[in-house]
Amino acid sequence: MPLPPRLRRHHAAALPALLAIFIAGCANADYPNSVFTRFTEFNRDIGYLFKLLIYLGTFVFIFVEGILLYTIFKFRRKSDSERPKHVHGNTTLEILWTAIPAVILAFIAVPTVRTIFKSQAVASADALQVEVIGHQWWWEFRYPQYQITTANEIYLPVGRKVNFKLTTQDVLHSFSIPQLGGKRDLITNHVNYLWFTPDSVGEGAWNGFCAEFCGTSHGNMHFRVFTVAPSNFEGWAANQQKMAAFGAVAPAAASVVPVSTPDGTARGSAVALPAATGIAAATPTVPVVTNPTHPAGTAVPATFVSFPYDKLGVHNIPQTPLPEGLTFNESLKGDPQRGLDFMTKQMGGGCVGCHMINGNPVMRGVIGPNLTHVASRTTLAGGIYPNDAKHLALWVKNARWMKPGVIMPTLGAGQYDPITKTYIPKTGLNDQQIADIVAYLQALK
Amino acid sequence: MAITATAPAYAPVESYVGESGLWSWLTTVDHKRIGTLYLFTSLFFFVVGGLEAGMLRWQLAGPNKHVLSAELYNQMFTMHGTTMIFLAIMPLSAAFFNYIIPLQIGARDVAFPRLNAFSYWVFLFGALFMNFSWLIGAAPNGGWFGYAPLTTMQFSQGLNIDFWVIGLQILGVSSLAAAFNFITTIINMRAPGMNLMRMPMFTWNAFVVQFLLVLAFPVITIALVFLQFDRFFGTNFYTIAAGADPLLWQHLFWIFGHPEVYILILPAFGLTSEIIPTFSRKPIFGYPVMAYATMLIAFLGFGVWAHHMFAVGMGPIGDTVFGVTTLLIAIPTGVKIFNWIFTMWGGSLQFTTAMKFAIGLVGLFTIGGISGVMHASPPADLQQTDTYFIVAHFHYVLFGGSMMGIFGGIYYYYPKMTGRLMSESLGSWNFWLTFIGMNLTFFPMHFSGLMGMPRRIYTYDSGQGWDGFNLASSIGTIVLMIGVALFLHNFFRSFRRGAIAGNDPWGAATLEWSIPSPPPEYNFESIPRVTSRSPLWDVKTPTLSAEVPHTSGGDQRVNVSFAGSHVGHTDSAPLTSEPRQRAESGMHIELPTGKSARELGIPMPNPSIKPLLCAGSMVIMFSGLLFIHKDNLPLALAVIIGGALSMTFSLYAWVLTPLEDAH
Amino acid sequence: MAHAAAVHSAHDTHGHPPTSTGLDNKKIAIWAFIGSECMLFASLISTYLIYKGRSVVGPYPHDACLPPACSTPLKAILNIPVTSASTFVLLMSSLAMVLALAAVETKDQPKHTTGERILGSSKLWLWMTALLGVTFLGFQAFEFTSFVHEGLTIRTNLFGSSFFTLTGFHGAHVTAGVLWLLTLLAIDYRRGLGPKDALNVDLAALYWHFVDVVWIAIFTLVYLIK
Repeated sequence: MPLPPRLRRHHAAALPALLAIFIAGCANADYPNSVFTRFTEFNRDIGYLFKLLIYLGTFVFIFVEGILLYTIFKFRRKSDSERPKHVHGNTTLEILWTAIPAVILAFIAVPTVRTIFKSQAVASADALQVEVIGHQWWWEFRYPQYQITTANEIYLPVGRKVNFKLTTQDVLHSFSIPQLGGKRDLITNHVNYLWFTPDSVGEGAWNGFCAEFCGTSHGNMHFRVFTVAPSNFEGWAANQQKMAAFGAVAPAAASVVPVSTPDGTARGSAVALPAATGIAAATPTVPVVTNPTHPAGTAVPATFVSFPYDKLGVHNIPQTPLPEGLTFNESLKGDPQRGLDFMTKQMGGGCVGCHMINGNPVMRGVIGPNLTHVASRTTLAGGIYPNDAKHLALWVKNARWMKPGVIMPTLGAGQYDPITKTYIPKTGLNDQQIADIVAYLQALK
Repeated sequence: MAITATAPAYAPVESYVGESGLWSWLTTVDHKRIGTLYLFTSLFFFVVGGLEAGMLRWQLAGPNKHVLSAELYNQMFTMHGTTMIFLAIMPLSAAFFNYIIPLQIGARDVAFPRLNAFSYWVFLFGALFMNFSWLIGAAPNGGWFGYAPLTTMQFSQGLNIDFWVIGLQILGVSSLAAAFNFITTIINMRAPGMNLMRMPMFTWNAFVVQFLLVLAFPVITIALVFLQFDRFFGTNFYTIAAGADPLLWQHLFWIFGHPEVYILILPAFGLTSEIIPTFSRKPIFGYPVMAYATMLIAFLGFGVWAHHMFAVGMGPIGDTVFGVTTLLIAIPTGVKIFNWIFTMWGGSLQFTTAMKFAIGLVGLFTIGGISGVMHASPPADLQQTDTYFIVAHFHYVLFGGSMMGIFGGIYYYYPKMTGRLMSESLGSWNFWLTFIGMNLTFFPMHFSGLMGMPRRIYTYDSGQGWDGFNLASSIGTIVLMIGVALFLHNFFRSFRRGAIAGNDPWGAATLEWSIPSPPPEYNFESIPRVTSRSPLWDVKTPTLSAEVPHTSGGDQRVNVSFAGSHVGHTDSAPLTSEPRQRAESGMHIELPTGKSARELGIPMPNPSIKPLLCAGSMVIMFSGLLFIHKDNLPLALAVIIGGALSMTFSLYAWVLTPLEDAH
Repeated sequence: MAHAAAVHSAHDTHGHPPTSTGLDNKKIAIWAFIGSECMLFASLISTYLIYKGRSVVGPYPHDACLPPACSTPLKAILNIPVTSASTFVLLMSSLAMVLALAAVETKDQPKHTTGERILGSSKLWLWMTALLGVTFLGFQAFEFTSFVHEGLTIRTNLFGSSFFTLTGFHGAHVTAGVLWLLTLLAIDYRRGLGPKDALNVDLAALYWHFVDVVWIAIFTLVYLIK
């Protein structure tokens, strides 16, 4: 049977070759989530271990498969009368192939242990602190040094060590940014840490994922990391610290019963409606823009508020297809003030139960993402849709159709709610109301 | 009748194999029939699990496809993993344990034939119970690892997880009962002269697996009990608000889960260790080292569980300890690989389909082993864990290892079970398509993993660098499925059309090949007396095997005492005290006589329906728990109590009926 | 007792070959079963110890729970004197089990004195073992009810869940043992247990002693160590 061994031999020779080509091309732009990057000390340390493991592994692979192929080629049966000598063993050989792997493994163990202790040391106190809180199925990010709360997008200044404090609101998640720094699980009732320094990287956008199975929409739990120049980071942070860009009032003017539900299970709560006069009338003429970020071609503005859209890679822009049949009348023109009034005075859509908008005395919910600067984000819904008027409108209309299993209810009149398996009555939101809400949200730069 | 000549002229299958008919199968206590039932049932579930995998690969063939919804995808991958592990590979191994162990050690049945039947029926009902969930649209959806708190009532209110928890409890009963049975069988029912160091390698591996089962399954049982209590009775083991630690589940699960990996792979290692010597015409290289390596793997296997948890933040000490123990376990595994290669070295290799699969195991498991060492380094594992790199790794271990070994084992033992050979030409196609399909499916997963693709995501965007690898994997799945379809075709076709096999179609060395194919219900007309590790070769080629040392112990009886009192002796030598002379050993080759056990005066256990009734009642009792969640406590209690009473009644009826007629 | 097993297999006239070890199959199987049970209880006990001191609300095993941790003051829940008594009862049941097995093994030997007749009564010692077992279960029932009255149920906190599950599993094992003993008693009443039954009584005894040993571990780790 001459063919099979030859085939096997080709196959075996192809694998390491493929591997070598592959490692060489791994930082290629075609692989925007490759783990083989040198952007942070974390990935460099791991990369060193990886290289060691891959070289040793390839060596062992070629060695073992080589002997195997040689053996099956050389000792194939030539005549049926062959009666090979009955060898029962060879002590020297057996000691050798116990000892040599042990030595190889020691070569792996020593740098491994060193890296373990290095990467798990306590991060220095001057590091940028970022609290990561996992939710089914989105990410809450807090910057305690800056009093910022945001969702699904992290801004990091280039060159500064960042220390992530990882906790979860519900089930287990895992915080993973392949290009910057491995992963670490978010464990209920535990606090975990992960730190790295994006020191060898320019301004850029990096994809992050939830890597621990967390239920229905586990595959829809993404986030983005933006590494930006320190000055831009300060600009971004300064903007994020501000009150909402539209319709905000001074905190003293609001009399609010907190609606926070720390256990995160309640779906709505009672809110004391503040005096209508508490809400300042701001310029009602903010246009509905489809691109929430800066116009293409401009240099980074002095007041950097979000990562420039044109600098995003194809892989940073979500492509989740919209559910067929979910439509919205895009010709409708929304009015932000009407949207604000509808949401806060008439409690339209029940947004107040879950979302917070700093400066808006009614929007105090803590279950869903903080919307104070929602228009400064590039994505929606755990990073699976671009943040533009159309997607925002459809999201408000029927979130549960756009992302399976979410808490965010289906709101559009006549829409089918796939979780409760019922149709929303006529009292639900009509497209004009949604357009108004979207106009308001899009004003929240 | 006993002759010492080789190659008698074989007539078509005539040996006495007992009655046929549905009732005889329902009441059978014959280890060979139970093995056959295990084989058919688990092949069925292997196909089910394979179709589930096909759906997964169809969904992932391209970016943003909508073959499955998110929820259905989660159910599909949960059931794919659960099915392949608990309903396919474990029971396929159990099929071989049942069929082969008694034959290899020269016994007429297992130690507890009715308990053996009970194990099978519990397995079957448990498997059906778990898959029944598909019919009501609530298949388990928490992953085969079922991490709390996702699986607690707070986050999973449907019956999905209930089916999974209860189903696994039922399957655990089956595995434990079988393990007690096989431990006893192997310790206590070996033919005279077959001391431990003369046991065939498959029996050795099976022996070690039974200990893993006995020690690992109670741990998952308790983890599941906690989850069950949490879900049904409101306890707090995994309740976040009560301060519970989700890592409790993970530790308990992986203390079971890692030995489980060896439970899945060691039987395939055992089969490979039978096939390679036979088709090399050489005894296994380094028999004692192989036996010790198996034990060492099992022992270390209990000390490495937390390498599944390097990302949970155990701290540097924990990571170091578990990283190093994991590296250590590579050593005995490597020893096995080299011993297989050097069994072939200098041999006369015949590339039958069985041999191809066995060599496939050696080659492919090596890849899985190397990627395994890569995860053993905790910092590097942070970039690998929960990505497709891990999926690639364990499919090289479980498909490239376990399934390749099992396919080889089926080709190897099919003639013993049916009396006919499977087609070698179909077998060759089967092997090559499986081999190519397997590599095409799973090798690209290494790359999609290192390119950052997380596991268990039901969809992905294009432009992430994953499209090509995923498409390749999905195409590979089609090739793999064609390969498996050819296997099934060959398997069923050969029942009637395969060539007649005779006692020993392969020229093998162990006892099972000294009796007719298929074996008569009593297996051995007279129990052989064993004087070496390769008794049949002693008969057929005495000059060649004369050089090989066959035992590490002396030739005397060794007294066994326990707690100070003499309890018996082991036969490390023939029971007769004459000097050992192989030419006069009790080894012989039996020809089919067509006589029944009764005619020969061999006592056989009576068939019994009671194990089936007991197993059925137990599953009914467990399934009563489901009604608690339908807020129907009276019905739940009625079903549970009814099942428990029925189980107790059939258990008493079973235990108080003697196994066989008085003589 | 083990001697009897060897005798049994040596005189096996059922046409089966002698076993490899000379021990009866059932004897090997029960040891495998006990090995498995060890892992079962090891998991339960470890869980109890891991969750010890991590309950967010009272009552607690060894310490009182005072406001504000508990709305009303709750005293330490474990009653060690009572449990010591029940532990003693279970230990005595093991002694009775040894005597029951000895009585079965020596059934055929002539009894001369009253003392010999008492020691040789398998029914007496089986009854004694079973009753002591039931007494232990009674203690446990009393303990459970008083805990519930003091505010500790299986749902209260981590301590309650792990404590009741651990001791409940042990209680279930004792219950199964009592049923096994009663079954042996029923056989004894129907046809009398003799030396040929020693193996079956021995199996029950091994199981009973194992359950007893597990309780010693539970008593030490749960009740005595604070």
